[in-house]
Amino acid sequence: MTETPTELTLTLDGEQVHAKDGETLLDVCRRAGKEVPTLCAEDRVDPMGSCRMCLVEVEGQRRLQPSCAFKVQAGQVVQTASDKVKRHRQLLLSMYLADHELDEDDLPRERGTGNQLRQHVLDHGTGPKLPAINAPREYRMENNPYIHFDPEACVLCNLCVRYCDEVEAVSAITLAGRGAKTTIATADQKGLLDTTCEMCGGCIAVCPTGAMTEKPSLASDFREEEVVRSTCNFCGVGCQVNLHTQDNKVVRVTSPPAGETVNDGNLCIKGRFSMEFIQHEDRLTQPLVRGDDGALHTTTWENALKVAAQGLMGVKEKYGADSLGFISSSRCTGEENYLLQKLSRAAFGTNNCHQCAAT
Amino acid sequence: MFGAGAMTNSIPEIRGTDLMFVIGSNTTEAHPIIAMEMKRAKKNGAKLIVADPRRIWLADIADLYLQLKPGTDVALLSAMMHVIVTEGLHDRAFVEAHTTGFDDLVASVQTATPEWAETITEVPADDIRQAARLYASTEKAGIYYTLGITEHSHGTDNVYGLANLVLMTGHLGKEHCGMNPLRGQNNVQGANDAGASPIYYAGYQRVDDPAAQAKFEAAWETPLSPTPGMNLNVMMKHMGGLIRGLFIMGEDIVLSEPNTERVEAGMNGLDFVVVQDIFLNETTRFADVVFPAACFAEKDGVFTNSDRRVQRVRKAVDAPGEARPDWQILVQLAQAVGYPMPDYQHPSEVYSEMAQLSPKFSGISHERLEDNVGGLQWPCPDPEHPGTATMHTEGPIIGKAPFQTIAYRPSEELPDSNFPLLLSTGRTLYHYNAGTQTRRASGAIAKQPQNFIEMSRRDARKRGLDDGQLVQVSSRRGTVIAAVNISPRMKRGCVWMPLHFPEANTNRLTNDVGDPVTQTAEFKVCAVRVQPLVQAAK
Ligand code: SF4
Ligand code: SF4
Repeated sequence: MTETPTELTLTLDGEQVHAKDGETLLDVCRRAGKEVPTLCAEDRVDPMGSCRMCLVEVEGQRRLQPSCAFKVQAGQVVQTASDKVKRHRQLLLSMYLADHELDEDDLPRERGTGNQLRQHVLDHGTGPKLPAINAPREYRMENNPYIHFDPEACVLCNLCVRYCDEVEAVSAITLAGRGAKTTIATADQKGLLDTTCEMCGGCIAVCPTGAMTEKPSLASDFREEEVVRSTCNFCGVGCQVNLHTQDNKVVRVTSPPAGETVNDGNLCIKGRFSMEFIQHEDRLTQPLVRGDDGALHTTTWENALKVAAQGLMGVKEKYGADSLGFISSSRCTGEENYLLQKLSRAAFGTNNCHQCAAT
Repeated sequence: MFGAGAMTNSIPEIRGTDLMFVIGSNTTEAHPIIAMEMKRAKKNGAKLIVADPRRIWLADIADLYLQLKPGTDVALLSAMMHVIVTEGLHDRAFVEAHTTGFDDLVASVQTATPEWAETITEVPADDIRQAARLYASTEKAGIYYTLGITEHSHGTDNVYGLANLVLMTGHLGKEHCGMNPLRGQNNVQGANDAGASPIYYAGYQRVDDPAAQAKFEAAWETPLSPTPGMNLNVMMKHMGGLIRGLFIMGEDIVLSEPNTERVEAGMNGLDFVVVQDIFLNETTRFADVVFPAACFAEKDGVFTNSDRRVQRVRKAVDAPGEARPDWQILVQLAQAVGYPMPDYQHPSEVYSEMAQLSPKFSGISHERLEDNVGGLQWPCPDPEHPGTATMHTEGPIIGKAPFQTIAYRPSEELPDSNFPLLLSTGRTLYHYNAGTQTRRASGAIAKQPQNFIEMSRRDARKRGLDDGQLVQVSSRRGTVIAAVNISPRMKRGCVWMPLHFPEANTNRLTNDVGDPVTQTAEFKVCAVRVQPLVQAAK
């Protein structure tokens, strides 16, 4: 596996470019900065060549070829924007539009964090308007708290199914139905909760049109959201997350793009969806001090700090510094853990300090 | 171990490995994204060996699955070592160059034949042989483990056993290999690194090392105690005795520590308790003062993950009401008792103070993390250093690594006629530890609304129990109610319960006897009995 693939040269839109044996035309186009539109391509899964969006013209081939699956060859002559390619794209986009939910401007409706089909229409234009298909599609994935699926926005690129098979490896969803009725569904038409689905939301992340979206964020318009990069606060993998906020609330969590972080674009149910606690009404909002009646009562910060300081110092004076213990949390930041040990050792004089989890 | 306990290798290396030995880690549930990497490695042709009492998901795709009896890991590992040394599969050059004590180790596993181990672990001797041979003879082979290894009264021996395997086969200091504890919580590694430890200051510098003490005394401008403190498990034992006051930041110890009844009695014996958290919980019932804290989305700082990767946490929203970030509260409390803790304006200033005092991370700063989107892995000794993906490439940091001999001891509490079932505990994909966060998540509630007990069909039938039926589970320490979950994953005689439900706290059952070295409690093994709810009520 360590042998270096041989270099070869081909002609791309009239220019000589280098490529390595085994690469696809799409790899080369992207490196060369060519705008080849795609819907069903995604680095984390094997190419499928089903959306027909990325077709290019290869000299000597009678038909246009999917660049995502077509391998480079020495001496190939490839056109990414010939008239034939452009005509194909526009006709294809017309066909997609005929089977897609449109907005007031006759453009594909935007959902979730955007719709690549809409962008392709804006970038490449369409051919003649075709009659709407309005195929009746059945789907029964609704029974779950997190994943919304809208068959009218689905382009059947099958990315969600491939992700679920190839990356998450649980195969909870599948292509179902025939002909114009084909859609994404669960095996046996069960609700997602009753399948092997682990609610990782990867199907949402790879969906190019927003047909799969986060149910809790349905009402949120992604253009109004601010995005803050952070680290998941659940397990020790340390997945990178983008916290999408609006009006001081976390409304959606996504992963930064595949390739640059430890999670490679993936998240699990906890990282992607278990964020309700942040805005939960049970959150503590005021300091509390136990009164003579034995109950906790709200108080000011000043008073709470004073009572805490006196209480802990009282114990120290009576029984010595080592009668105090400081328990820290692996949930808090590194800086906070540093300050907790500093508090314990420097302010109170004891090394009785430890974090809760030993592993 | 080889220096400080942390993954020796990196998560992204998993996909390039040729063999994974996963022991005591239900990776798909506890670390889903690492499990994805493992699935990917498997797809690329890597071999997978899984050792776990529960037939976990990964066992289904494993090349070799060792369903050992809970608490018998030491016997399994000893037998694997026996096979490796008797068949001469160890890496002589590595052993010679980087280790000490090999001869003693060989002598200590002399009688640990796979046949002997089979009588203890119930794993067929041939499977043990095959696992040992596969692991020893594959060049790129990594060990991955988690709480299933450490939460035992012999947890330290389990870890030594794994380390011995790594050392004798030379699976250290090379890419795609190593000894890889997967951290259960987001910042366990970072909390250790920062010195939330009774024996270490930040950066693993011992409190009883006069040079370290002098350095921190100078930096903090106050005399410090050279006496190592009590670890959490010891503190818990001495509550109401030697320990009279507690300050607890961000943990629900009453829910998450074993033997709840004893913990509650201990809490009642304290003179003063301060809790700093984001919700009221089981522990705040005992608090004299409760400080409302900000959650991770409301503050800045860093978390350090399982592969020593320091990454930024950034404030995205404001904390509710008057809640404040923990770091601010700590400074204010220190000042309130008269210690002149500086008025840090931002956690980046705290980090740079820590980095200055800790050679392991002195090259890391918030500024550098802005430019390194994938984080920085320590050791990272200077600002030009790129960080360390694979540790020990030049041999163990502390010179030569010693082999540690281990000997199988049965777990502290084994089933008997009164408590005939072996209970292990753990975490599930949907919930997270004390559950204060995930139990407020609708997905977790829909998937797993209440506490449950997994058992084999035969054990259920023997007791006339149906799937879903409510039962009373009792140990010598307490009783909880749970729903029966008949599962093909369970071995006969063994049951399993999750740890996330305060109203039916599994830790009312668990044993608080600790490992002799770490005092880590034996969450994984205790004896219980299970009765239908009606019958028990009589
Ligand atoms: S959430 Fe994850 S497991 Fe469930 S269907 Fe989508 S990709 Fe598959
Ligand atoms: S997203 Fe899931 S796997 Fe990743 S850090 Fe969070 S809890 Fe762990």
